Amino acid sequence: MGDIVQIYNDYKDHADFLTVYVREAHPTDEWQMKSNVKDDICYAQPKTLEQRVAIAQDFTKHYKFPLPFGIDDMGNAADGAYAAWPERLYVIDETGHVAYRGGMGPFNYKPAEVRDWLAAKYGAVKHEAPAAAAASSTANPTTPAAASASAPDKATAPTQASSTK
Amino acid sequence: MKRLLKWIGGALAVLLLAAFGVLCYMAGSPRDAYGMVRYALPHMHRGTLRVGSDAPDARLLALDGTTRFHIRERLGARPLVLVFGSFT
Repeated sequence: MGDIVQIYNDYKDHADFLTVYVREAHPTDEWQMKSNVKDDICYAQPKTLEQRVAIAQDFTKHYKFPLPFGIDDMGNAADGAYAAWPERLYVIDETGHVAYRGGMGPFNYKPAEVRDWLAAKYGAVKHEAPAAAAASSTANPTTPAAASASAPDKATAPTQASSTK
Repeated sequence: MKRLLKWIGGALAVLLLAAFGVLCYMAGSPRDAYGMVRYALPHMHRGTLRVGSDAPDARLLALDGTTRFHIRERLGARPLVLVFGSFT
């Protein structure tokens, strides 16, 4: 989650972002994960839109999630249209076409690929490595990690820009 | 003939057990292996969207629980990053 928030903070002046909350991936009444029990993130699969809204609100409060947010309806229209469940990333270009289609999460959910797409268009945003930042406020910046080679569909990288925001 | 069938049945059982063992290892536990087969595998190859496809529209509900809007309304002069997911 932190990766996406960082990308949002880095590129919100260039691109729009929209988080779409879809049906739960690991609810208590389906395939619950031990990690969620440990973190006390335990919800049954919502049966009503009100329940879905309540969980989405808990999510945004829990993570102080800054991205614009929308909630899929109980017919799961957005999920169906984008094959979104359990998690997936897309970039839609200015003409309304899919420019980047990420793989199905969690294994192929790769925010770094979205960052690469944005970086190719608007320039890379560099961050200080934590150790270097602790050592010195003027430490050399590092480049965010490159995406995995086993990439899902990607558009031809936009051609411009090498400047740093 | 009967003996051959026994051998084939035994070999298949061993193969199935081995496959389940590998799946448990990959998923982390037998319970997660079951979850993967039951919930994740059917979704592996869903969807027909490709790069270059028209972005589909869908109506969403805002966090306030009352305001509705369309994904299409967010398309415009800038690229739109869509982040799909849930809490769990």
